[in-house]
Amino acid sequence: MLLAVLASLLLFLMDARLDIFKPLRSALATAVYPIQTLASMPTNFTDWVSDMFQDRDDLRERITKLEAQALTQKVRMQRMQALERENMRLRELLGSSFRLQERVQIAELLSVDLDPFYQHVIIDKGKQFGVYEGQPVLDSRGVMGQVAEVSQFSSRVVLLTDPSHGIPVQAVRNGLRAVVTGRGLGEPLQVEYLPHNADIREDDWLVTSGLGGRFPVGYPVGRVTSVTYPPGKAFAEVSVEPAAQLSTSRELMLVLPGEKIDFSLKIPPVDLNPVPATDTPLMLQEALQPETDESPVPSGDQPAAESTPADGN
Amino acid sequence: MAINSRPQQTWVIYITLLMAIILMILPLPDLLRLARPEFVVMTLIYWTMALPERVNIGVAWFTGLVMDVTTGGLLGVHAFSYALAIYLVARFHLQLRQYPLWQQAFTILSLVFLVHLVSMLNSAVYNGWHIWIPAIVSTVLWPVVYAVLRKIRRNFQVS
Repeated sequence: MLLAVLASLLLFLMDARLDIFKPLRSALATAVYPIQTLASMPTNFTDWVSDMFQDRDDLRERITKLEAQALTQKVRMQRMQALERENMRLRELLGSSFRLQERVQIAELLSVDLDPFYQHVIIDKGKQFGVYEGQPVLDSRGVMGQVAEVSQFSSRVVLLTDPSHGIPVQAVRNGLRAVVTGRGLGEPLQVEYLPHNADIREDDWLVTSGLGGRFPVGYPVGRVTSVTYPPGKAFAEVSVEPAAQLSTSRELMLVLPGEKIDFSLKIPPVDLNPVPATDTPLMLQEALQPETDESPVPSGDQPAAESTPADGN
Repeated sequence: MAINSRPQQTWVIYITLLMAIILMILPLPDLLRLARPEFVVMTLIYWTMALPERVNIGVAWFTGLVMDVTTGGLLGVHAFSYALAIYLVARFHLQLRQYPLWQQAFTILSLVFLVHLVSMLNSAVYNGWHIWIPAIVSTVLWPVVYAVLRKIRRNFQVS
């Protein structure tokens, strides 16, 4: 018994405090992967059976629905592309480096339940697909979380609802920045440390701000469902409903590295001089000298920007 | 008890433990998830009561470690709590065997509660009353688990 207690205490300490332990943990996670696959089999099987026995009308209906959806999305994409290009051009004028497009990799959820005290899920892509720790995970509607642990064939993803997870966000309406943290199973997310006079309302959309360098900018995190100002407390209580379908999404997307957003907030020298001037001269001044400035600025940014997130990891 | 203490059919024990682990991570709807009975603890308790020289603190600790890795918590939490519970069972296994089933079931109640207490103390969320649900469900299910495992043990003549 004494031995077991000592061994457990040693494990607690090593796992919580030391990084040396990570490879061992990842190896252990690889070793239990067969157990997890085995446990997810019944669900996969029932899914497969229900797929097999879908009748034709259902399928046809679904196809028409999906085609209609694809059409509307294509139309929207056309506008998006134009807007994106415009946005890029404007940002280039301002001298800030920013990428809008990310490449993503599709991963599938392994249907196993983990400890209900944690909000984690297992996905079926691991080291062999280049998944790395801290990689952002999205679903079709918004941010789901980030990769917490990578093993050979699978990885563990911390969801936004995990009490230990925080994500930097900003409000779409007014650009208010904040941090959203999880509160556990079945509870809404909450915005931390917003003073009573902060301008936030119900139905405000929160998107990732990209600060912190983990998550790409501009993906939906959630919608504010209630704002209360409890008297006697320093901060407002703001509940947020996550945008991603955390409990029902089966397919998720991993944002690939290399396309990582650099939000390192380096202000290139051209920016500094015209700052005291008003907005219009600034735009004009920079617009007047794009031939000389445009090429060095983005190329100068690229290597530095790529090294910054790598340091963060 | 076997006169020659060579392990016989020990693999059956490990298979049941594996099944229990799989039952622990089998996907369930959110409501049932909180009520999931502690199959692994119950299996460990049964084998410790029946064959204390085969299943003991070491096996419990190792099973706990496997659980830690599969469920992705802090390493050693399950290992520690399982070892603690099995220590108590191993210490009192002679008494426990004599108890009628319902009385054993109440032992299960306290042991599962203990196990959950340890993992809850470690976790960030405090949801006090939730911790009782698995303990109560396990207690109710104990006679079933007991009967099934005894059937398995007799069938395969595990000793």
